[in-house]
Amino acid sequence: MYADYAYLIVGLPVLAFLLCLFVGSRLPRGGGFLTVLATFAGLVLSLGIFSEMYPDKIIHQSMPWFANFNVGILIDPLALVMLLMVTFVVTLIHTYANGYMNGDPGSSRYFAEAALFTAAMLGLIYADNLLQLFIFWELVGLCSYLLIGFWYRKPSAAAAAKKAFLTTRVGDVLFMAGIILLYNNLASLNIALKPGEYLLQFPVIYAHLTQIPPAQLTLIALGLLGGAVGKSGQFPLHVWLPDAMEGPTTVSAMIHAATMVTAGVYLVARMFPLFYAAPYGLTAVAAVGAFTALFAATMGLTAFDIKRVLAFSTVSQLGFMMAGLGTGAAVGTMAVGVAMFHLIGHSFFKALLFLCSGSVIHAVNTNDMREMGGVGKYMKWTMYTMLIGSLSLAGFPLFTGFFSKDEIIVIAYEYGVAINFLPYIFLVLAAVLTAIYTFRMWFTVFTGKERSDYAKHESPSIMIIPLVILAIFAFGFGIAAQGGFYSYLDSNFGHYDVNFNELAVIGGHAAEETKLAGEPAAEPLASEAGEGAKAESKAEPAEPWYIQILPIIVALGGILTASLFYWDKVKKFDPSLVTGDKDPLRKLLLKGYYQHEIMTAWFAETIVYGSALICNVIDIKLVDGWLNWLSALVMGFAQHVRKVQSGVVQNYITALVLGVVVLVVVITMAKEVGLI
Amino acid sequence: MIPLELYILLASIMFTIGLYGLVTQKNGVKLMMCIELLLNSANINLVAFSAYQPNVNGQVFALFSIALAAAEAGVGFAIMIALYRLYGTIDLDTIKAMRW
Repeated sequence: MYADYAYLIVGLPVLAFLLCLFVGSRLPRGGGFLTVLATFAGLVLSLGIFSEMYPDKIIHQSMPWFANFNVGILIDPLALVMLLMVTFVVTLIHTYANGYMNGDPGSSRYFAEAALFTAAMLGLIYADNLLQLFIFWELVGLCSYLLIGFWYRKPSAAAAAKKAFLTTRVGDVLFMAGIILLYNNLASLNIALKPGEYLLQFPVIYAHLTQIPPAQLTLIALGLLGGAVGKSGQFPLHVWLPDAMEGPTTVSAMIHAATMVTAGVYLVARMFPLFYAAPYGLTAVAAVGAFTALFAATMGLTAFDIKRVLAFSTVSQLGFMMAGLGTGAAVGTMAVGVAMFHLIGHSFFKALLFLCSGSVIHAVNTNDMREMGGVGKYMKWTMYTMLIGSLSLAGFPLFTGFFSKDEIIVIAYEYGVAINFLPYIFLVLAAVLTAIYTFRMWFTVFTGKERSDYAKHESPSIMIIPLVILAIFAFGFGIAAQGGFYSYLDSNFGHYDVNFNELAVIGGHAAEETKLAGEPAAEPLASEAGEGAKAESKAEPAEPWYIQILPIIVALGGILTASLFYWDKVKKFDPSLVTGDKDPLRKLLLKGYYQHEIMTAWFAETIVYGSALICNVIDIKLVDGWLNWLSALVMGFAQHVRKVQSGVVQNYITALVLGVVVLVVVITMAKEVGLI
Repeated sequence: MIPLELYILLASIMFTIGLYGLVTQKNGVKLMMCIELLLNSANINLVAFSAYQPNVNGQVFALFSIALAAAEAGVGFAIMIALYRLYGTIDLDTIKAMRW
C-alpha cells in the first residue's frame, strides 16, 4: 500500500520547495515547517515501505519517458537504507535549521533550496535507471551550489560555490561519458527487451554485464568512478569540499557531510556489479579511497576552523567508504554491506558533529577553534552530544563508528592478503589520525580556559532536541543494526539476474578469491544472496586476532595521544614539541599540501586559463573567422542588391511598364522574323 | 459615325498620360487622379467596343468599373486625409515610416 505512494517521497519536498519559494516569505520562519513536514512524511512513507518489503521484496515501478528511456522507482535494500537514512537525518537537520536560520532575512530561500535538495537526493536514491539518476545527480549539485553560496554577498562564499560547482562538473562530465559508453555498448548488443524494460535500467544493466567487452567495462567504470570522485570529494577532486563550509552550518551538515557527498559512494555501490566485472575497476576505487582517507586525515590535524576539521574528516571517512567498496575485489558483495553500514553510521555521527559545531558557532560567533576553549562549561548538552559523536567518529568500542569503520579495516586486511596491503596500511594510519584530530577538536573547543569573550548560553531547545536524537543513533545504531544490516544488504543483488561468479572471471577476481585462506574456490561469492552471505560471514574470522584487535588499539591510542596534547587536565606535552610553527611538515599540512597553490593558482589559473586563452584565439580567428568571412561576403553582396527593393511604388511601376514594353518589342520582332 | 480608331487613340492617350503621372508625381492626390485616368481610359475602350459590336455587356462592365473607381477613390482619399493629419503633408517621398 505504501509502495503506491512512493512517488510522494520526492513529490512532497518538491511541493514544499514551490510553497517556500513563492509564499515562504509570508509564512512564519520562512515556511521552514513545510520543509520539515514534507521530509518527515517521506520518512513515514519510507518506514511504511520498509515494513512492507522487509526482508525479501523489492519495489520496481516504471513508465516510458521518451525514446529508449523511462522514469521509474526502484527500491531495493540498498536504496531503502539510503532512503531511511536521508529522510531521517534531513528531517532532524531541517528541524534544527528552523532554530538556526531563525531571523535570517533569506530563510524562506534557504528552506526552498533545502526542500529542493531533499527532493533531488531522494530522487537520486530511488531512480531505477542511470539517466534519471544522472538528472537528479545534477540537480543535487545545483542545490549544493545554491546553498554553499547562500550568503552570496560574501565574496568567499560566492567563490566557494563556484569552485564546488566547477570541480564537481569535471567529475560529472566523466560520469556522463561513462553513461554514454555504457548505453552504446548495451545498444550494440541488440538485447530483446521485454515490455517495461529499458536499456539503462539497473536490472537490465546488471543482467547484460557479461556480454560487454572487459576493456569497455573498465572505461565505463572509470567514468562512473570519476563522477563519484567529484561528488564524494575524493582525491584529486576533493578541493571543493572544505571550501564548501562557507554555507550555513546546517547546509554543511545536510549536504556536505551526511547526505549529498555520499551520493558518489552510493553510485559505486549501486553499480557494484559493473565495477566488480571491470578489470581494475575496484582496484582503482580502493586506491582512490585509501589514499584520500589518509591524505585528508593529515590535513584535518592542523586546521583551525572547526568546520574545516569536520570537512577534512568527511573527506577522509568517504575515503574509507570508497576503500571499503574497493575491497570488494577480494571479498565480493559483502563489501557493499560494509561500506553502506559505514555510510549510514557516518551520516548519523557526522550530522551530529556538524550540528554541534553549529550550536557552538551560534554561541561563540566564530569558526576559529583558537578563540573557543572552555565552551563545555556553558553548553553541557552540546558538549556531551558532541562527545558521543566524536567517540563514534574515532571508533571508540561499542560506538557506531567502531563497528562500521573497523569492519572496513578488517576487510581491507582481507584485500591485503589477496591483492595488496597498501590500502590496509593507509586505512590504519588514517584511523589513528582520525582519533587524534577528532579529540584535538573536542578538547580544544570544550575544555580549558575561554580564549575569547563570547555569549555564554546554551542553544534553544529546537536545536538541542535533534542533537540528542542524533546522538542516540550515533551511539546505538552500530550495536542495534549490525547483524541484520549486513545480511539485508548482502541480499541486495540477489534480487537481480546477475551472476557474480561469471563477473569474477571477467574482472579477474577468480584467482584472487582462491588465495583467501579457508575459502574454497567453488563458492567464492555471495551469488545466491542469502545462503552465500551467511557462508561468508561464517568464514570471516580468517584474520589473526591481532588484526581484529588492532582497530581498538588504534582508536584508544589516538584518543590518548590527543588528550596528552590538548586536554588541560592531563596535558603532558605541548603540540609545539612535535611541530613548531616554523616546521616545514606542519606548514605543509596547514597549507593543505599546497593544493591551493598547485591546483588553483598553478594548474587552474596558469595552465587551464592559458590554454583557454589559446582556445579563445583559435575560436575567434579560425572557427568564427571563416564563418564571419562568409557572412560578410553574403552581406556585402546583399548591400548592393537590396537597393532594388526601394519600397517606392513608382519605381516598381516604371520597371513593370518597361518590362511590358520590352516584352512587346521582343514578341513583335520575333513575329517579324517568323520565330512564332 | 466616328471611326473606332479615334476612340482607341483617345483611350491610349489618356492611359499614357495617367501612366506618366503615376510614375512621376509625388503628390498623393495627383496619383489618385492618374489612377482615375487609367481606369477611365479602359472604360472608354469598353464602351466603344460595345457600341460597335451590338452587345451591351461592355457598357454594363464599364458601369461596374465606375462604381469600383468610386469606392477606390473613397478609400484612397480617406487614407490621404489620415496621412495629412499625421504628417502634415501628402508628399509620398517624405512618408517613410515603413520603408527606407
